[in-house]
Amino acid sequence: MRIVDALGTWCPVPLRLIARALPEVEPGACVTVLADDPLIQVDLPAWCYDTGHELVSLEEEPGGFRGIVRRRLA
Amino acid sequence: MIGVLEGELGNPESLHDSARAPFAALEEARAAVAALVGADPDGVVFTAGDVEARNLAVKGIWSANRHRGVHLVTTAVEHDSVINACRALQRVGAELTVVPVDRDGRPDPTALAAAVRDDTVLVSIAHAQDEIGTVQDVAALCAAVRARRDDVAIHVDCSATAGLLPITADVWGCDAISIGGGTLRGPRWAGALWVRPGTRLHPLVDGGAQEGGKRAGHHDLVGIVGLGVGARLALDDMAMRASAMTAGAATLIEGLLTIDGIHVNGPRVGRIPGHVQVSVDGVEGEALTLMLSAGGVACSPGSACSAVGKSSAILEAIGHTPPRTLSAILFTLSHETTADEIRVAVDVVADTVGRLRAMGVRE
Repeated sequence: MRIVDALGTWCPVPLRLIARALPEVEPGACVTVLADDPLIQVDLPAWCYDTGHELVSLEEEPGGFRGIVRRRLA
Repeated sequence: MIGVLEGELGNPESLHDSARAPFAALEEARAAVAALVGADPDGVVFTAGDVEARNLAVKGIWSANRHRGVHLVTTAVEHDSVINACRALQRVGAELTVVPVDRDGRPDPTALAAAVRDDTVLVSIAHAQDEIGTVQDVAALCAAVRARRDDVAIHVDCSATAGLLPITADVWGCDAISIGGGTLRGPRWAGALWVRPGTRLHPLVDGGAQEGGKRAGHHDLVGIVGLGVGARLALDDMAMRASAMTAGAATLIEGLLTIDGIHVNGPRVGRIPGHVQVSVDGVEGEALTLMLSAGGVACSPGSACSAVGKSSAILEAIGHTPPRTLSAILFTLSHETTADEIRVAVDVVADTVGRLRAMGVRE
């Protein structure tokens, strides 16, 4: 799965990196997001809601957060 | 580089049409740098020179892995920008182990591995020592560290060897490689850090999403294109360049050793191509450098990148003491340096050393 490494960046940069990566995967496919800005917990769900992509999961892990975003079908 | 200056200088990060050519040039350079280090282009982060690349490796990897530990390992013969980056991190909680080296400037792989602790997050080593020219057995050093722990990040500083010796990220099994434009005969102010995907890295420069968020700020497109062209040409000509530079260095060493009181620093074999550092009895390196410059011979006291006369910490690390550590000068040849130029340089060195000794300018 494509990994979007946003570690060390501050929102909204992680969202920009995700937005760049999603067109590079097939509709319906997923990318993994690594981030350690705590605001990702707020911004990523909101961005997915706004853009129509699906936030499959977003979990805290040692050193940050790991999310999975599925590209919208159309 | 001139083509970039004369063409579109749009921001490669922009969406409009004038960004396309700069973006293509940026990605072409990224591919060239990746090919040079034997790795994937996605891991390449462009920087302002090799010093920033080393700082990004050391500070960025340490910072992004603090939840796993605070310990760093490096050797006693690293570039100042590695050693001082480690020291800077000590101010904010890092713990550092510096592994000693032998008389040729080589760390023992077993000792390097033994320095790795359970809380070590980074081992930083150099492909070659940039003052005395010692080329390290990077594969053996990486293998020893991996045998101790396979989850510790390994940074290899290749700034002294990029374009001169093969760099093989996958064979070495390292996680980060830093390079600069100098040894590529490219712009010295351009550099790059390659990071293996999955290696946690924080940026040094915060801001936007340039370079995948790992190095914010507008790109120095001219420098980056020069770095890419330098990488491509160096990769194509590496064997020829290295052979010519090694032969030239051997000729220079042979000539310099005909002068009384000159000592070659570092090993006689396994050196950076074209790299010759000597210490000269009875003179001081900085004075000799200035006098040689007046005679048309360009060299540096100590290392090539920082012309400040001081006792060499690298020479001290391999067991030398003053005055030898104060009287070192470094010659770096290119593959275009001719036998005549080398002969003239030896004659000028002999004459200049003789005059300085007669003047009583001693170390």
